[in-house]
Amino acid sequence: MIKIENLHKYFGQLEVLKGIDYEIQEKQVVCVIGPSGSGKSTFLRCINMLEEVTDGAIYIKNVKINEPKTNINAIRAEVGMVFQQFNLFPHMTVIDNVTMAPMQIRKMNRTEAEALGHELLKKVGLDSKAYNYPEQLSGGQQQRVAIARALAMKPKAILFDEPTSALDPEMVKEVLDVMKNLAAEGMTMIVVTHEMGFAREVGDRVVFMDGGYIVEEGTPEEIFGNPQNERTKAFLGKVL
Amino acid sequence: MDIFDLRWDIVWNYRDMFIRGIGVTLILTLSGYFGGILLGLFLGLGKLSTRKWIYWPCKLYVDLFRGTPMLVQILLIHLALIPTIFGHSLGYMVSGITALILNCAAYNAEIFRAGIQSIAKGQMEAARSLGLTHNQAMRKVILPQAFRRMIPPLGNEFIALLKDSSLVTVIAAPDILYASKIVAGASYRFWEPYIVAALLYLILTYGVTKIVAYIEKRLSNSYVPRKAEGREAR
Repeated sequence: MIKIENLHKYFGQLEVLKGIDYEIQEKQVVCVIGPSGSGKSTFLRCINMLEEVTDGAIYIKNVKINEPKTNINAIRAEVGMVFQQFNLFPHMTVIDNVTMAPMQIRKMNRTEAEALGHELLKKVGLDSKAYNYPEQLSGGQQQRVAIARALAMKPKAILFDEPTSALDPEMVKEVLDVMKNLAAEGMTMIVVTHEMGFAREVGDRVVFMDGGYIVEEGTPEEIFGNPQNERTKAFLGKVL
Repeated sequence: MDIFDLRWDIVWNYRDMFIRGIGVTLILTLSGYFGGILLGLFLGLGKLSTRKWIYWPCKLYVDLFRGTPMLVQILLIHLALIPTIFGHSLGYMVSGITALILNCAAYNAEIFRAGIQSIAKGQMEAARSLGLTHNQAMRKVILPQAFRRMIPPLGNEFIALLKDSSLVTVIAAPDILYASKIVAGASYRFWEPYIVAALLYLILTYGVTKIVAYIEKRLSNSYVPRKAEGREAR
């Protein structure tokens, strides 16, 4: 569904991604792990063009997205994103955060959009907060709203950029539970995470990145149970 | 003739001039300010553009108008620019308003630029990641947040402009200060007319301060109070 070919990314002189090849199948949950600065987030952000690709190709459903004539806004509407810092819109109520994009882009009317919004907020367990503002919510609640906001565009896949890294420990679980349910429903997900438990339990594939390369890739059993590469072993030795 | 023997009746005799002066000052300031907001918004957005042919003219404009005295700008516009374009003067009002708009726009451009830049980068990214175009993201997400932060500096700019509008006396626009000059020239009394001018400006700026404070309070930095209530009923 998402295919990446020989992806290179430079920030100025610094090469952050040094040739990534990978393919994500529909309904797969791919967890990307690795040390800080390994290029995980940049890799994720290239997939919906939040970062400009220096070289290589990214295909979503066989459409090459890093090409000038591709309508990047249409692609982004199909690929949701959840950020480490939630990035909810503070000047809008929770329900407006969720309904804004479908109304602007899908031209839904307010009644339809709010029905969808309430349905999604119920799904993440926050319909009671629909008319609150983001700053009245805890971090975990905000992140669940952010997931509902991404779902409102009915995306084909969702990218998660360290979704629990900015949360207090006791709130991590509520967000991971929502993500687990999504995975069970068959959502295609790419998750950059430090939650090894989540990667092991929910991931269909686990990708270990280091120094701008994909060092090793496999099922959770392979990566966590029997890692082949020395760097993978060293990293897992430190975090597990 | 000294400070212990003030003759307010002299000023009172010229009250019609002062009332007209207040009118002229307000018209000049309000036109200059709102014209300056409109032009300043475009200049501010231009200064945020990544396209060099948009950025550089906007930057040049702002640097030019912020870096030269308004008095010089007023004289250049009234005595040189407008007569050169139209063949004759269009009067102190046109020159005065033009000068105030052009000057105020340069300062407002910086307020808009800074206000927009102060909104966290993640807001734009979140909006774009949902599929919004840059313009949609600006309109729905960035500008509504930025405007709140711009209110205090925009209020300051209004007060500064109100006071700076007194510079148009140099092209004989009959504003508050001009009335004082006439009274002083006719009566050879200086305390009374200029104290009155100072008081009138003070009253006007104080009024504006109060209005800005009220707006600021209503749109306080927290998004939570008041607005959240009664929303369910909709």
